[in-house]
Amino acid sequence: MFLVLSPFIVLAVGALLLMLAEAFTGSERSLSVVGSIVLFATSACGLAVWLLGTDNVDLSVLAPWIILDRFSLFFNALLPFGAALVCLLSGGYLEEHRLQRGEFYQLIFFTTLGTMFLSAAGDGLTLLLGLETMSIGAYALTAFRRTSTRSVEGGLKYFLLGSFSAALLLFGLALLYGVTGHTDLAGLRDGLAHGGALSDPRVIFALLLVLSGLAFKVSAFPFHMWAPDAYEGAPTPATSLMASTVKAGGFAMAIRVLVTAFGDPASTSWASGWPPVVAWLAVLTITIGNLIAGRQDSVKRMLAYSSVVHAGYMLVGLAAFGAAKSAAIASILFYLVTYTVSTIGALGVLILAGSHGKEAVSYEDLAGIGKRHPALGLAFSFFLLSLAGIPPTAGFFGKWYLVKAILEGGMPLLGVITVLNSVLSAYYYLRVLVFMYMKEPAPGAPKAVPMRSGEVNAALVIAAVCVALLGLRPGATIDASEEAAKTLVQ
Amino acid sequence: MIGQIFFYVMAALAIFGAIATVVARNPIRGAMGLLVMILSVAGFFLALHAEFLAAIQLIVYAGAIVILFMFVLMLLGPSAVPAHDQRGQIWRTVAGAIFGLLGAGAIWFAYKGFTVDVPAKGEVDAHTVNLARSPALGLAPAGYGGIDEIGHALFTTHLVPFEISSALLMVAVIGAVAVAKGKKGSKDLIIYKELDTPEIDAPGTATAVIAEVSP
Repeated sequence: MFLVLSPFIVLAVGALLLMLAEAFTGSERSLSVVGSIVLFATSACGLAVWLLGTDNVDLSVLAPWIILDRFSLFFNALLPFGAALVCLLSGGYLEEHRLQRGEFYQLIFFTTLGTMFLSAAGDGLTLLLGLETMSIGAYALTAFRRTSTRSVEGGLKYFLLGSFSAALLLFGLALLYGVTGHTDLAGLRDGLAHGGALSDPRVIFALLLVLSGLAFKVSAFPFHMWAPDAYEGAPTPATSLMASTVKAGGFAMAIRVLVTAFGDPASTSWASGWPPVVAWLAVLTITIGNLIAGRQDSVKRMLAYSSVVHAGYMLVGLAAFGAAKSAAIASILFYLVTYTVSTIGALGVLILAGSHGKEAVSYEDLAGIGKRHPALGLAFSFFLLSLAGIPPTAGFFGKWYLVKAILEGGMPLLGVITVLNSVLSAYYYLRVLVFMYMKEPAPGAPKAVPMRSGEVNAALVIAAVCVALLGLRPGATIDASEEAAKTLVQ
Repeated sequence: MIGQIFFYVMAALAIFGAIATVVARNPIRGAMGLLVMILSVAGFFLALHAEFLAAIQLIVYAGAIVILFMFVLMLLGPSAVPAHDQRGQIWRTVAGAIFGLLGAGAIWFAYKGFTVDVPAKGEVDAHTVNLARSPALGLAPAGYGGIDEIGHALFTTHLVPFEISSALLMVAVIGAVAVAKGKKGSKDLIIYKELDTPEIDAPGTATAVIAEVSP
């Protein structure tokens, strides 16, 4: 029992011990390295429990609050892994920009813990608790740089809109409770299946509220408004946490709620269910996100819109659920893995490219940096190509399996839109490369000076190895995501 | 009979308080409206014989939260009342009307849904039975809201969410400390290359509020 819960226990106990250690020693120096070790250990525990299996363990104490199936174990391994890389990035960034305060790491730990609870939640109550734990941590991380108006503005917007969307989700769940008398997802499914689910106006209204809440958390159009401001204002490691772990947690929640509570054949069919709504959200998210991303002057803001676009791709996968079943979910899970490492890598290089007082955020800041610092330019190119989905990187296989699942689901139009948009998105990713290699900074313009940090370098090396491995040998990860998807879809 | 009169009085007060909270231009009046709403909800708990919940409602919401609001409002002083903002008046009215109508429609749907008549014999299908048992219609179970029941629920059936909520409280405390502490030693970390300096614009917007709050 405790062995099965070890990912949660390791992370919670580790976070508390580190907090005590910081309070007693008064030093923040080694927090990032030790913190990332704790998070890597959490991820390893998730992997170990996956390998050992939970079949012979009595989990009735946890029911229905926490579900420890392959799906949540998959996320128990993925979420802390991303957070561990972010923790390493923070070590370099915070020191360079004189923001070194221990709370940053604590917020990373507890946000990650929240996302893990979220991915394992089997009841509306634990779902909301996990969601709020995750969100409050993310709000505070966004507003961490209190002296920058941009950071505080982003944090405040994120906080207000985030609370609002959580209220929408809660209202939807409350209505569903009124209809079925259940708050647990399995009970909701049974209760809804009895009454012909979506023929009831109350259920439709509740589903719309739940969908809006979920769409906000994964920053889908038209609920993406907070994302660019929050992503740009936040300290860059916090941005990378929001783009990776927090986003993956949001998707875990969206998938589990839609697939479990609204997973009956009528609700998932194209004619009478939620997939068309999700498909419209997805198409608008991708297209509008792409169009705005191409017009940005700031690379950081462009990456924020890019994260909106990637959320759209994964929503297309979700829309194909009705026809493609577990293949659709598996493709989203694999996409999340590739996207997590790629985006952390890209934002990590952006951290590395700047130094105190000379933070590199705009395209002009990066002009010529590829010639002056070849290794940095090469790393940035690699991660951006992965985000654009160009082989042989991880991003290519992510998109490949996603489009394959969509086509298998019999939705050629959605597949075509995805591919076309993916081509369109190459414009703004390659534009960074153009600036890095083919432009020179304007005379007299401030030059971004790359910082030096072993921790950031280590994170980038790990991310790059993952991107390359997933691009060359994606087999094992794909098998794992298929297995995880199968336990969810029965 | 008396129970019904009590319910309607409390319901009217709750709705009045909620509207006053939203409509009041003076934030202190808004907080008072919230107080009225909270007190009437405590009244509902009393009507359900959930004395403990009623007391908690008073202590936590009326006693702690509204008073905290008042503290903040008093600390902010006159700047807590923003100048009247005329921008986008038409759009705001239109958007407000749309959302108001949507909300009213939703409530009507919900009301229609919940007033299901008792089905005639032989016509009972699973859906209506489900509704008849739905907690929105049923009576409060025996012992509902008592200390025994709540304690029992917290430490047996609801132990897992109870423990998770400690993580939520923890992150809220750390987050508050992190954001509040950020102003200390601010002198040496102002330098942040921004694309364009965000102007501290018209009153009422987020940046302006922050600028006013921070001395």
